[in-house]
Amino acid sequence: MEIIRVEDLNFKYADGKQALKNINFSLEEGEMLCLCGPTGSGKSTLLRLLKRELSPRGEKSGNIFISGRRQDDLSDREAATDVGFVFQRPDMQIVTDKVWHELAFGLENLGVGQDEIRRRVCEIAGYFGMESWFERSTDSLSGGQKQLLNLASVMVMQPKLLILDEPVSQLDPIAASDFIATIGKLCREFGISIIAAEQRLEELIPASDKLLAISDGEIAAFGETRECVGTLISNEIFSSSMPASAKIYMNLTGSYKEESTERGKERTGAASDGSATAGFAELPLSVGEGRRFLSEYIKKHECAPEVVKAVDFAKAPEAPEDAKTSEHMKRSELAKTPEDALEFREVYLKYERNGRDILRALSFKVGKGEIFCILGGNGAGKSTAVCAAAGLFKPYSGKIKVFGKDIRDYRGQELYRSCVAMLPQDVQTVFVSDDYNGRHPYDLSGGEQQLAALEIVLKTEPKLLLLDEPTKGLDAGLAQSLRKRLKELAAGGVTIVIVSHDVEFAASTADRCAFLFNGEVVSVSDAGEFFTGNYFYTTAYNRITRGILKKF
Amino acid sequence: MKPIEKYNPAVLFLYFLLLASIAMFATNPVMVGIAFAAMNLTAVSYTRDGLGRAYLFFFVIFILTSLANPIFSHNGVTVLLVVNDNPITLEAVLYGVMTGIMILSVLLLFRVFGTLMTSDRLLYIFGRAFPKLGLLLSMTLRFVPLFGRQRRKIENTQRTLGLYKNENAIDNIKGKLSVLSAMTTWGLENGIVTADSMSARGYGIKRTRTSFSMFRFERSDAVMLTLIIISCGFIFLGIAMDRLKTDFYPRMQLPPFSLYAIMCYVIYAGLAFLPLAAKIRDRIIQRKVFGQE
Amino acid sequence: MVVIGNSAIRKILRILIPFFAVPAAVLAGVYVFEDKMYAYVSLLITILSVVLFISGFERRETGSRRMVIVVVMTVLAVVGRFIPVIKPVAAITVIAGVYLGGESGFLVGAITAVISNFFWGQGPWTPFQMFSWGLIGLGAGIFGKYLKKNKPLLYAYGAISGVLFSVIMDVWTVLWNNEDFSYDAYLAAIASAAPMTVLYAISNIIFLILCFDTIGKKLDRIKTVYGI
Repeated sequence: MEIIRVEDLNFKYADGKQALKNINFSLEEGEMLCLCGPTGSGKSTLLRLLKRELSPRGEKSGNIFISGRRQDDLSDREAATDVGFVFQRPDMQIVTDKVWHELAFGLENLGVGQDEIRRRVCEIAGYFGMESWFERSTDSLSGGQKQLLNLASVMVMQPKLLILDEPVSQLDPIAASDFIATIGKLCREFGISIIAAEQRLEELIPASDKLLAISDGEIAAFGETRECVGTLISNEIFSSSMPASAKIYMNLTGSYKEESTERGKERTGAASDGSATAGFAELPLSVGEGRRFLSEYIKKHECAPEVVKAVDFAKAPEAPEDAKTSEHMKRSELAKTPEDALEFREVYLKYERNGRDILRALSFKVGKGEIFCILGGNGAGKSTAVCAAAGLFKPYSGKIKVFGKDIRDYRGQELYRSCVAMLPQDVQTVFVSDDYNGRHPYDLSGGEQQLAALEIVLKTEPKLLLLDEPTKGLDAGLAQSLRKRLKELAAGGVTIVIVSHDVEFAASTADRCAFLFNGEVVSVSDAGEFFTGNYFYTTAYNRITRGILKKF
Repeated sequence: MKPIEKYNPAVLFLYFLLLASIAMFATNPVMVGIAFAAMNLTAVSYTRDGLGRAYLFFFVIFILTSLANPIFSHNGVTVLLVVNDNPITLEAVLYGVMTGIMILSVLLLFRVFGTLMTSDRLLYIFGRAFPKLGLLLSMTLRFVPLFGRQRRKIENTQRTLGLYKNENAIDNIKGKLSVLSAMTTWGLENGIVTADSMSARGYGIKRTRTSFSMFRFERSDAVMLTLIIISCGFIFLGIAMDRLKTDFYPRMQLPPFSLYAIMCYVIYAGLAFLPLAAKIRDRIIQRKVFGQE
Repeated sequence: MVVIGNSAIRKILRILIPFFAVPAAVLAGVYVFEDKMYAYVSLLITILSVVLFISGFERRETGSRRMVIVVVMTVLAVVGRFIPVIKPVAAITVIAGVYLGGESGFLVGAITAVISNFFWGQGPWTPFQMFSWGLIGLGAGIFGKYLKKNKPLLYAYGAISGVLFSVIMDVWTVLWNNEDFSYDAYLAAIASAAPMTVLYAISNIIFLILCFDTIGKKLDRIKTVYGI
């Protein structure tokens, strides 16, 4: 049965901006739809229109049917319960102070009785494995737990359709894949239909049944996932955000269509889950499918891995490691100059007297003009390390040197005058003025805020720029412009230290990378070497090609 | 009897309220003495953290209240000395001391109250009576730590941006103010997500929302509630019938020791020492079940 | 409750009953009841007037966005109470009252008292603080139109509300401490609290000067952008 059908939906904001044009799609019960599109393409507007309570003000035409009934005909109660909505920012959508209270919030609004609430709240907490933090305050949870709580407190109302607006963009990679796995499970085990919009599609696309791509408020593609990826991979706007497997497939097989029909005839029985339309079945989406495709390709064409690699890189617009051009070499030379921009020498740091060490014997050097990226899991001490470099936390042992001078010897504001600047993880902390180039900073989209904050930070003309998770919530296009800006700065002699979860961004931006674990640096090497050397903490591209195109 | 904090919050609330009211309105030195002894011991066993500092503050209050009465009240016949034509009487001093001890006891009682009546317990009571107010309180409690964290983040960021340019007081205040302003913007602008999240989960579709709480009203709560109501009723009856009244003016009299009064004292002592007894009992049982430390 | 047809009269009564009749009853109670009973009565009446107001709030519909804005203002006041010496609570309550209306102003003041006392200590003074700060917010809402336009009036209101707060809290202090409500003791309490009163008044004025326009502008923006 169709859970949702959208017919000829047009929407114009009150200020006259046409946000959506002729949107038509439908989704069956128990299906997962992945909604993609660049920032400002109208994704959020579309998702909000699907949830009646959140419909933005403006001029709307066309129809939305939920379970075959017009959206306007639903009762308040049905509109609230049948469609669940999870937002982007985990922190801000939590309403109450205790986990159990948050779970009960929706049911309280419906006026459900105490005993019924208790039963449903406990049941959902049990299902999501929340017993151990059921009585905690919502403020003490981690980002991943917060988002899971948000999901659970929507699920407690037993929705038929779940809408997620970039639910994992603010989470670290591990929490993000847990979350995607959880919604996949809800979809499969309970037949809940899901519409999820996301910027990072590497994991979401393989999990979804259908894909809807919009750009500029119009549908660019809609249909079975594989089929759509096949079309979008050659689309300028979307190609960069498609899964790495699909990109490799494209690079190797050239024109997608001709190859697929040919291969369709001589199917070897590999990579096919039967659900895809014949002819598209071969397009690999997940890392596993990518690896299968790649080894078969080599076997079938009987060519050496090096040749395949060369073919692949020749067509890839920015293949990670070979993108390191002469410009990088030049900067590596610079880095060999005796003076380091930043040096950590056996730094120990903790927050409380009897607390655990956040940084332990942390030592590394960053050369002048280098782009240095620190990667690592949650709680590894990455953010603490940059904050210490910015002089915000004081180590209790060891030395931090900035341009050869001990950080403690910088007096007053000297450290921040044309010397060190930091772009914090939460870029909204940068805005103290309500006016940024004539606009209110909060009127800017998330990505625009990121870039605006960077410009404000750069006004102090730093020689050493520290960035904490700069790509959080950025789409591929904006990440690209950020990368460009950073490279410009580096070329101008600014030393850049990035702390990030985002391996893809690090791989394509950094000169050198360090892996931080439990407060110490485990490995440091040139970016290319770093990512081919890592097994888990590496790009999707490296996970696909490991052992097939490269020996390690 | 179970540990006192395991009782239903409404029972706890009523218990503390009645205990305090009796101490405050009985005007009986024996009652005040009982409350004072009980509350000191209870405060020591329940709220040891920072108690020393609190006592210092309480002592100042005690001195002030004890002094205030003889200065403003010139009733009583035993004149101790005359200041500016105003007699300072022994009765007024004694009354002042009793008031001081009473206030000290009540302050200690509210200290224990504050430790036991955690925000979720108080919210349960408010929420039952006023679901919307309960929600507002819960939201505020959720936002306070969030704002605190954001304030620190903004301060850190702004320090690296050179907001606190020179370390003098004026720049410092200016810096603090712009942090406050940034926090306001942040809270108001992002609060809209919270509001949407509320609407998305059906806030406002029904005029009467329920107020859910994990606290239950068990049989032991009912027993305790009955006990409290009956014993406090007995004492209040005594107060209303002037059976417990101790006159200080014109001459201080001994507190009454009729059968009724003695019964009241015993019952009140039983009530006032309840949290302490519960704690000791719990200790003993824990030791029996789990062995020595 | 008695049904009164005219909404204007109803509105006036709603304001009159809790905030004029009730204090009058407190004063009457002072003379009528013996001993400490009037302390009890005043506490009771204070609680009742707060309850009366809250019941009105419970019956009305309040949009989710207004709820959040009230919460944000309350949190600002609660966090502000941690500033040493000068406290912006009353000033923020006044701003909330002027820009969001009397009801929201009352709520900001009253809830600030409850929540901040989780940190500063709950006690029988909590209802009095709820009442005093709530009243300041409600008053700011009622005179909002004039206060917004006329700065000297605004600062005067800030000063008065500082005094008002002190005066109400002193009633409680006296009732609680002394066996009698004597004007001597009351005046002495007011006199001894005078430095605090002046401090309240001054910090209200300071924070109104510093924050009224800044926060007001932000509230105005939020109101238009999000349609409240």
